[in-house]
Amino acid sequence: MKRILVIDDAATVRMYHKSILQSEGYEVEESINGIEAIEKALQNPFDIYIVDINMPKLDGYGFLKELRELDIPQAPAIMVSTESDEMDKKKAFVCGANYYLIKPVKPEQLTAVVKLLIGEVRQ
Amino acid sequence: MGFVKKQKDRRIEQNERSYQRNCDGFKLQLNDPDPAVRRWAARDIIQCPDASTALLERLEKEETVEVRQAIFTSLINIGDSVAVAGLVECLRSEDAALRNEAIEAMKQLPEEVSPVIRELLNDDDPDVRIFAVNILEALKHPDVEKWLMEVLETDSHVNVCATALDLLAEVGTEKSLTSLNYLKARFSSEPYIQFAVNVAIERITNE
Repeated sequence: MKRILVIDDAATVRMYHKSILQSEGYEVEESINGIEAIEKALQNPFDIYIVDINMPKLDGYGFLKELRELDIPQAPAIMVSTESDEMDKKKAFVCGANYYLIKPVKPEQLTAVVKLLIGEVRQ
Repeated sequence: MGFVKKQKDRRIEQNERSYQRNCDGFKLQLNDPDPAVRRWAARDIIQCPDASTALLERLEKEETVEVRQAIFTSLINIGDSVAVAGLVECLRSEDAALRNEAIEAMKQLPEEVSPVIRELLNDDDPDVRIFAVNILEALKHPDVEKWLMEVLETDSHVNVCATALDLLAEVGTEKSLTSLNYLKARFSSEPYIQFAVNVAIERITNE
């Protein structure tokens, strides 16, 4: 079963993403900030990361930069944010994001991108 | 290692000798090329008049994390109107880390921030309104629930409402049920809002 880490400081957002992905058969874990997410990734790397930008302690950009420097199997990351500026998107990709979604995310949108990045559908 | 440390200490001592130990000296040290000197200056300047202005000017260009932390700590300790206004401006920055640091700093200044929070909740920029809701989380102000209900009833931006909803799920009481149901009706085609309102109502009614 593919494992997904949802990283967001908002509890309801984590619950929402988790419920969508669990209904598709994925195993989902949660982190409330980038630091906690890095610790979890080091213990047992995930197949995909879904990460918010604005979080305390270590934000989404910082998380991605650190993740990409870790000596662990690398996996796709989807940045999910309220920020819709082109600059934010560009920065996300520079930091190592593979996809950028704007909140609030529709369930079918999230599952489609996850399946695409995880290799369950052809591009 | 010891040699490196000694060299660094000597450099700081030399810097201290080249600056006056007064407010003018601290202001100059805030722009010293050595981050250690800037960090100490950010701490030492706190008793000086116009310290907030000098710290905020430095913050605009400061890239060293430790120095930025020292600047924010001093701004929190000063907590005057200049410091609060400067922190509000940081919310408009393109730098996500700076915005988050400003939010965390403002959370530590509940009395000083409360008077401007209503203004922030009505700001033209939806991102600033979202950050204002993030700050409300820590304010422990008696009007927090009322302010969140107003956001749910009046704000046209879905993500501002979603952020308020997330907080209301934690702090809301039965007083907010009408606002929650109103929001659900306003954004009837938005799955996240439907989900989050249900979570909030369940939490409130089961408590």
